[in-house]
Order: sequence, then C-alpha cells, then structure tokens
Amino acid sequence: MMVLPMLLSVIGLMGLFEALVTPEMIQSVFKGSVLSDTLIGTGVGAISVGQPFLSYAIGGELLDEGVSLYAVTAFILSFVTLGLIQLPLEWSLFGTRFTVLRNILSFIFALLISIATVFILGLIQ
Amino acid sequence: MLSVVGCLYLITFYFNAQAGKEALLVALETVKMIAPILLLVFFLMALLNTFIDSKSISRHIGEQSGVRGWIIALVGGILSHGPGYIWYPMLSDLRDHGAKDGLVVAFFYTRSIKLPWLPLMISYFGLAFTVVLTLLVILSAWIQGLIVNRINT
Repeated sequence: MMVLPMLLSVIGLMGLFEALVTPEMIQSVFKGSVLSDTLIGTGVGAISVGQPFLSYAIGGELLDEGVSLYAVTAFILSFVTLGLIQLPLEWSLFGTRFTVLRNILSFIFALLISIATVFILGLIQ
Repeated sequence: MLSVVGCLYLITFYFNAQAGKEALLVALETVKMIAPILLLVFFLMALLNTFIDSKSISRHIGEQSGVRGWIIALVGGILSHGPGYIWYPMLSDLRDHGAKDGLVVAFFYTRSIKLPWLPLMISYFGLAFTVVLTLLVILSAWIQGLIVNRINT
C-alpha cells in the first residue's frame, strides 16, 4: 500500500511523456551511423515509456527511414527492459545494488542482442 | 516524488493546457487499466504472505532451486502481463523472502516478451526476426541471471 504514491508518480510521469513527446521527436534523434545510432537507440528506448506496440511502430518507421536494424532492435529492447521513469520505484523497492546491476546488464545486453539478432538473420536469410 | 510529479503537471498546464489535459487523461486511463491487475497482484501478495513461508519460497526460487527455479522465473516473466512497475512490489516481497536475485533479474528480462503483441511484431519485422529475438531474449535473461547470482556470491 505504501508503494501507491510511487506507482501514481510513475503513471503520472508516463502520462506527461506520452502527451509531450511525439514519435517524430524520437525519430529525429537518429543520425545515420550504425554505431552511434545503436547507442542512441538504446538510450532513447531507456528513457521512453509506453505500450510495447509503440516501440514496434516507431521502430518500423525508423527502419523505413533507413536507420539500421541494429539501432531499431536495441531501441525495442531497451524500450521494454529499461525505464528511467520507473527507476526511483525500482530503486526504492530493490535497493541500489540490484537496480544498478540489472540496468547495466539490460543496457549491455540490448547492444549484444541487437548485434546477435542482425548477425543471425544475416546467416539465415 | 508524487509532489514533484504534481508540480510538473502544474508547470505543463501553465505552458500548454492542452498537453496537460492530455497527459492527465492518459494517466487516468492507465490507472483505470491497471486497477484490476493491481488488485490481482495485491491479492497474490496477500496469499503469498499468508500461506507461503520463506522455506517453500527458498525451495522453489531460492538458493537451492536449480533448474525449476529458472523455469519458473523465465516462463513467469513471459506470462506476466501488464506494466512492469505493477509487479515490482510482489517481486521485492519474494526477494525479501529468499528468492534469488538472479531469478528476479531473469523474470524482469523475459517480461520484455509480450505474448499478445507478438503478432504485431511479426507484422512489422517479420517472423524470422521475432523468433530470433525472442529466443535470444530468453537466453540472455538466463545469462544475466547467472551473472547476477555469480556476482552476489
């Protein structure tokens, strides 16, 4: 029950994000180089919130604009595994060590999985 | 923190009333949507606290849980629905009662597999991409769990 204020805060922040940040704003951030776009993708996904399908829709748009699959995959993954807005709640419930560990690992693996996915797809297609 | 968010809303309303209203509507919609799930989670937590003691939690997802613990964590993450922050309190509870950190991390990560949204992912990115990504996520969830357990010992 004590977690309710925090939960409401998270939901409140998500509402603000959805109202103020447009998909176009997100798309404009990607530059064109594979390496930096993948890092940018992971970072943007980390601070973004919303329904998962939103990441697929934005990801699809990014692909159409020529952003690399590495970046889009990393974006989709970090969108759903990392959350700047949920961080205070996570930290308050799980402690510093767990939160830091989990988020660092999620970040690293967003990059690793995106590389592996593109590599494997390249092999089988 | 709630007061900080409240201030952010006031600021938003001051500069852009339309956006402020929209944000509030989104937030309220979300609360409406998660209310039933939240009730379920709190109910589960009450059940957990009443009927399941630390010993059985330890046995299934604690120190000695082995393969079964991993399966519970990985599959549980895939099957759990709704936003992640709803599950935090229950996971934190389990952790306090002896669930291994690595399993909680694995659960967190396989939560990224959203079963109801898979058809949409397939339509955007193709079947091959979806299958490969899903399998890699499960594998990575397990690896991350192993890493966390190793770091914690």
